[in-house]
Amino acid sequence: MVNETRDVLVTRDLKKYFPLRRSLNPFSKAERRVVKAVDGVSISIPRGKTVAIVGESGCGKTTLARTVAQLIAPTSGEILLDGRDMSTMKRKDVYKDVQIVFQDPDSSLDPRKTIADTVGEPVRGLHGGTNRAIDERVMRSLAAVGLSEEQAYRIPKQLSGGQRQRVAIARAIAPSPKLLILDEPTSALDASVQAQILRLLIELQNEFGLSYMLITHNIAVAQYLSDVVAVMYAGHLVEYGPTKTIMARPRHPYTITLMTAAPIANPWKRNLLNIEIKGEVPSAINPPTGCRFNPRCPYVGDVCTKVDPPLEEVSPGHLVACHFKAQTADVVVERRTTSGLAAPEVGAT
Amino acid sequence: MIGLLPSPPAKVLEGSIVYKGTDLVKLKPKDLRSYRGTEIAMIFQEPLTSLNPVYKVGSQMAEAILIRESRSAGLDAADPEAIEDLHKPVRKKSKPVKPKRKLTPELRKEAMEALKLVRIADPEQVLERYPFELSGGMRQRVMIAMALSQRPKLLVADEPTTALDVTTQAQVLKLMKELITEVNTSIMLITHDLAVASQVADRVVVMYAGDVVEDAGVYDLFSKPLHPYTKGLLSCIPTGSKDDTKLMPIPGSVPDLVHPPVGCRYADRCPSAMDICRTKPPKLRDVGSGHKVSCFLYGE
Repeated sequence: MVNETRDVLVTRDLKKYFPLRRSLNPFSKAERRVVKAVDGVSISIPRGKTVAIVGESGCGKTTLARTVAQLIAPTSGEILLDGRDMSTMKRKDVYKDVQIVFQDPDSSLDPRKTIADTVGEPVRGLHGGTNRAIDERVMRSLAAVGLSEEQAYRIPKQLSGGQRQRVAIARAIAPSPKLLILDEPTSALDASVQAQILRLLIELQNEFGLSYMLITHNIAVAQYLSDVVAVMYAGHLVEYGPTKTIMARPRHPYTITLMTAAPIANPWKRNLLNIEIKGEVPSAINPPTGCRFNPRCPYVGDVCTKVDPPLEEVSPGHLVACHFKAQTADVVVERRTTSGLAAPEVGAT
Repeated sequence: MIGLLPSPPAKVLEGSIVYKGTDLVKLKPKDLRSYRGTEIAMIFQEPLTSLNPVYKVGSQMAEAILIRESRSAGLDAADPEAIEDLHKPVRKKSKPVKPKRKLTPELRKEAMEALKLVRIADPEQVLERYPFELSGGMRQRVMIAMALSQRPKLLVADEPTTALDVTTQAQVLKLMKELITEVNTSIMLITHDLAVASQVADRVVVMYAGDVVEDAGVYDLFSKPLHPYTKGLLSCIPTGSKDDTKLMPIPGSVPDLVHPPVGCRYADRCPSAMDICRTKPPKLRDVGSGHKVSCFLYGE
């Protein structure tokens, strides 16, 4: 299914379970319970492209990112980096190719280090070289994210929130990685700063041919930045395919709910007020049997509570895990905003 | 607006807040208190920090209901003893007063009704829970239920859905929108998310660095935004994909409010700033059909 030379990163049936603390009673016969945070996820990230992992809190998207970044070890499954099995690689070699940008620069940057030291640290550790060579690399990546040489000798406190996120990005691109994991890169930022960072990420991708794994709950950001979207629900991949297809014609009932619920800046399309959303994200300890979305699904049938639907192709490259995917074939979600549109007549709603 | 900012340092220097013909700024703190909750209620961004973690949902809701009842009975609502007295008439003054917030059957019934109003399926169980046992969406619903049990005429909602997931946000916003008609309340929704505003608001007021820069009906604002800041904000929203739209971020950052610029506070970031913008601040004026804007581009 996947062409391994074309893809920077491939995961195969990746699983990450977290064991829960056993009952305090040492003689308890109760089975040890686990949280299935990521339960059999297979994705591939093409070179120079962006794959967005979309889902709500607790769906496992951050666990997936951390597993891919080797911050935690997978329970089972494979991660292939450029066709090589990551578990057999040295950590240092993994980090030369995979770097991560976290959500909040305030906690991901060392408050007492200068910007130059922060950005230089991964270069020194991974590639080594003379101080001069390292400095040169630091200045190049700072310039790439739009920071001046003078700002390199400041500490994070002396920069604005947007500038600090630029530092975090500069640090991630300094060792010249192939893949950047972006964990909610703009959620902590204001709207206008978010726009700046999104633009920067696109420029960097075009300039250095970077691949991005974008973790986000923000549908608009995923739509804007990504080429491929993977929708996760309760540890499972429920839909996977080209961004344009999924944004306009989502097929999994959860994706449809998510796309409709994400507000758009268009008072003539009050999507969000016209949908009925049942229940809440299930607990990962006791997920529903069968399809995990079944208690909230408007299309639910008997089979959904018994059999977990497999991911199946509905059109080239577009996979959906739903027993009733035939019924969602003509759902269209409109996500256009007013900008660039002739305003419909007032009172159209 | 509901007089919650600590004073000093916060101080209303001038202006008035006219609520049903009364200027709230001129009221004494004691009189203002009777407006808070019963007339104007507020819900906050993070429900976990606004609920008391050591009391069950039921007793916290009972407190809100008791306050309303005592007020309608003409008692000073702020006195915890007065709350107690409604149900337990005798109480010794010498003992330190610890509000017990006992859940009488009547209170329970009313609290359950309030929870049903916010579409909580099993109100009986929720009353017996502590806030930490509830999900984010449930907590925010409890907050709304508490606020509404005061039967306020105005609900001030400060970023009520920012801490919530997309589907939960949709549920809460839809609920708020429905409640406007059901309980006949007005809502002042404070948000940084223009998309949320466009989905639920009837009227949108755009603020920048402490000033109102534009004030218009929701359809007017989104079809013909006038102020350059509003336009800038709208062009910052990612729409479509990177292939067909380019984001136009607003250059620069918000000015220092300790020493704000002399003229228009947006002038330094404004693409169409003129000389006059840097010398005197523009006034908010009506440019037709209730669309107000504060910008020299639309006349003095």
